[in-house]
Amino acid sequence: MGQQIVNGLFLGSIYALFALGYTLVFGVLDILNLAHQAVFMLCAYVALLLVGSLHLHMFAAFPLAVLAGGLLGVVVDRVAFKPLRGRSDSNISGLISSIALATILEAAGLQLFGPDVERFPLGTVPDRSVQIGGAIVSELQVVIIAIALVVMGALTFLVQRTRLGRRIRAVAESPLAARILGVNVDRVIAAAFFLSSALGAAAGVLFGLAFNNVAPDMGRAVELKGLAVIILGGMGSMPGAAVAGFALGLLEVFTVAKLGSSYRDAIAFGVLFLVLVLRPHGLFGKAALREA
Amino acid sequence: MNLESLRDLWLTYQSTVAFIGLNGLLALSVYTTLACGQLSLGQAGFMALGGYTGAILTFHSALPYPVVLAAAALVPALLAVPLGFPVLRLKGVFLAIATIGFGEVVRIFFVNLEFTNGALGLTAVPQRTRVWMIYAALGVALFVLWRLRGSRAGYALEAIREDEPAARTMGIHADAYKLAMLVLGAALAGLAGALEVHFTFMVAPSTYSFARVVEMLVYAVVGGTAIFFGPAVGAAFLTLLPEVLREVGSRVGLQPGPLRPFVNGLVLLLVILFLPDGIVSLPRRLHRALAGRGAAAHAP
Amino acid sequence: MRFAGRLTLVATSLLFAALQARAETVKIGAAFSITGNAAVYGAQQKAGVLLAVEEVNKSGKLKGITLEVIVEDDATSKEQGIAVFQRFINRDKVSAIIGPTLSTTATAADPIAQQSRAPVVAVSNTAPKGITDIGDYIWRVSLTEAQVIPSALQNARAKLGFKNAALLYGNDDVFTKAGFDVMKAALEKEGIPIVEIQTFATKDRDFNAQLTALKGKNPDFLMVSALAEQAAGIVTQARQLGWNVPIMGGNGFNSPAFIKNAGQAAEGVYVGTSWNKASPDPVNQAFIAAMKAKGNDPDQFCAQAYTGVLVIAEAIREAGMKGGRDDVKAGFAKVKDLPTPLGKFSFLPNRDGNHAAAIQVVKGGRFEIVQ
Repeated sequence: MGQQIVNGLFLGSIYALFALGYTLVFGVLDILNLAHQAVFMLCAYVALLLVGSLHLHMFAAFPLAVLAGGLLGVVVDRVAFKPLRGRSDSNISGLISSIALATILEAAGLQLFGPDVERFPLGTVPDRSVQIGGAIVSELQVVIIAIALVVMGALTFLVQRTRLGRRIRAVAESPLAARILGVNVDRVIAAAFFLSSALGAAAGVLFGLAFNNVAPDMGRAVELKGLAVIILGGMGSMPGAAVAGFALGLLEVFTVAKLGSSYRDAIAFGVLFLVLVLRPHGLFGKAALREA
Repeated sequence: MNLESLRDLWLTYQSTVAFIGLNGLLALSVYTTLACGQLSLGQAGFMALGGYTGAILTFHSALPYPVVLAAAALVPALLAVPLGFPVLRLKGVFLAIATIGFGEVVRIFFVNLEFTNGALGLTAVPQRTRVWMIYAALGVALFVLWRLRGSRAGYALEAIREDEPAARTMGIHADAYKLAMLVLGAALAGLAGALEVHFTFMVAPSTYSFARVVEMLVYAVVGGTAIFFGPAVGAAFLTLLPEVLREVGSRVGLQPGPLRPFVNGLVLLLVILFLPDGIVSLPRRLHRALAGRGAAAHAP
Repeated sequence: MRFAGRLTLVATSLLFAALQARAETVKIGAAFSITGNAAVYGAQQKAGVLLAVEEVNKSGKLKGITLEVIVEDDATSKEQGIAVFQRFINRDKVSAIIGPTLSTTATAADPIAQQSRAPVVAVSNTAPKGITDIGDYIWRVSLTEAQVIPSALQNARAKLGFKNAALLYGNDDVFTKAGFDVMKAALEKEGIPIVEIQTFATKDRDFNAQLTALKGKNPDFLMVSALAEQAAGIVTQARQLGWNVPIMGGNGFNSPAFIKNAGQAAEGVYVGTSWNKASPDPVNQAFIAAMKAKGNDPDQFCAQAYTGVLVIAEAIREAGMKGGRDDVKAGFAKVKDLPTPLGKFSFLPNRDGNHAAAIQVVKGGRFEIVQ
């Protein structure tokens, strides 16, 4: 039982980190960035390259990969979203545009790295485990959960307490008003994408480390779960994404334990459905959808 | 070219021709909801329902093929109704996500259904589909959509697409129209599903993934959603393109590999950024660009 | 007489020309997953086929006949598989087809070959039903799970003496599900109670929940039906959870990629196999050496694909050095105890392959045959 809780928290922390990125962009732009999972995947490979080929220590590789993710996020914004900003149907066309970019990036990943699963070289991650109560927790798991929490905390601080955070919140509330107040909306959006994709990159590297498995299709697996998380937590709500991420992780794990694993994925979508039907704004989301 | 080599040519490319038609039907099924401004991404689920219904009926009943096809279109259409009520209330992105969820739930359902061998699916399905049937179905679908366009219902749909709240205040029953389009799309997807299953000899859940829906969406958008036959054009173009590239590539020594999805993605991106009304709007744009030189700008 | 002389000359040259024409080319189409989910296996298969064709042509054992192989990508997709088969049959006019890689693709593409009366040699389809059943032009070299697992299980039981078992399998893939069905049946036949069954999806990376649930029921033995990627993850996570239960895997484990990705955790894992890599048989050793000389460490899929070509060559020979489609089909029936890297190979009456299977255990980072 305790073991399953550990499993759930561990899985959930990665879901939460990934979903935070999604929800940040949605909060600011009202757009779902489906290229998020491609950044997730590519930055896991960046970390792999840094550690594997350049023999950097993970302490150096992780922030570098996260930085790369942030920059890639800005590219995604400039290529896929910025040109569409004026359009009336920018929600749907933005979605489609991000799907297109995701496909391109995935294909690039496949071309560059091949279809085989890669793993981090032996010794990249600590191997030890510790027994707490009846559960076995590996050092790696503790580190990952800790990093996820730290990143979430840093993000919250940034959004709540800094000037950039205030600007981001202003744009999320109303870009027009923000512009009138002198905020450079374009820059703020770019910053939001930077942060969002940095989060995605962090999630990707941690995921790759956690399961020692980096492959060009790793984003697909998490993409749909990520959607369930942000719906459950409420689109645009960061605490919502965090809480819902952990909740989904735990829910999945206990579904497996009690009902059997066949329905594990169905649970995520079942929850998604129920939430959309009963309470579309999720646990923490704002009640009304902002009009463009 | 003699008769024998013509026959061989046909047989070689028969499946490509068939898939162009099937993809056309699928693209149209995505288009039906796009036509009233909704993005429904659950077509894979409807397609799966149609495919399985068709296969099960073929194995367990002696019904003639047209009846089987009708049933395959009917089952997802009926299911679209209870799905539509809660889901069509949602706006834009939420609707898209909800329908993605629906599609996945259907797929997982079939993966776990012992009656149809779960992931193994059903094999040795007799090949009851002929290529002309696919194009007949496509023709009928296009015809229906064409008549719809010019009719009052068609205008209502456009109004809903442009500005739903305004359309409502004008007395248009937006809910009913959106539901009707969802049902129509479901029927088309189901029909395509059954036709495909009886062409490829098998039905299995792995066919009906989210990736498949994305493909259908790409066909519809690239073709162009402003005109009723746009998606079919998109389907034809994008089904042919990889084949052409492969032929060219193999002469030049390129590997197909990731090329196909890369090209799909690139074409989609270029279209959405620079040619948002799709390929079908290309002739009009070129015409305008050429005619506009030196002449005063005309009203759009 | 002048006329007679000229006639003789013409006749002789015609005869000569006819004899020259005996240097014919027989085309083989190879449909493998070079891209897509099964790309891991496709690359090895392609290497195996190319080497075999090269060797057969060099050896001259098909006097006057040159084998030509055309390799195409089935992209691990039904549609591509069908299209590739159509091209092979109608445009390239191949005499036989090897492949496709996955059973799922085969169920869609093989019927076309059967309809067109073109023989197919399956070299990696291991789903027991739905392959050779399609018709008399479909033949199989790869042993089905049903031919490998039961004897491997008996072997493991004799060595480990376990009292009960648990099962973990991928329920959304044709191959892994078929493997599970066989494992379950084998356990039941041996009278071993199954204490828990868990499933996962092919895309899953996290198996902690399932493994914890399985571990909680305390089985003595765990059988896993998974593809190489998931196999590595499953085994790694099981060991990380502190669970040291003996594990036996199905055919999907049979890949160096499994050992590479699972590292230390792969030690001690049992895997039934169609290919005894350590077999001292000279044909096998020569094959391994030749592959390594090309820079490729062969796996089972490579060996099976290689054998597929050998079988086709033998069929042509048995048919009297004739390379037409029906000649090859007739020749298959006559293949008996053909020396291949897989052992002495023959076809069963139902067109499935027949040769000795083996069981391996991972020791020191390599597969070792268990005697």
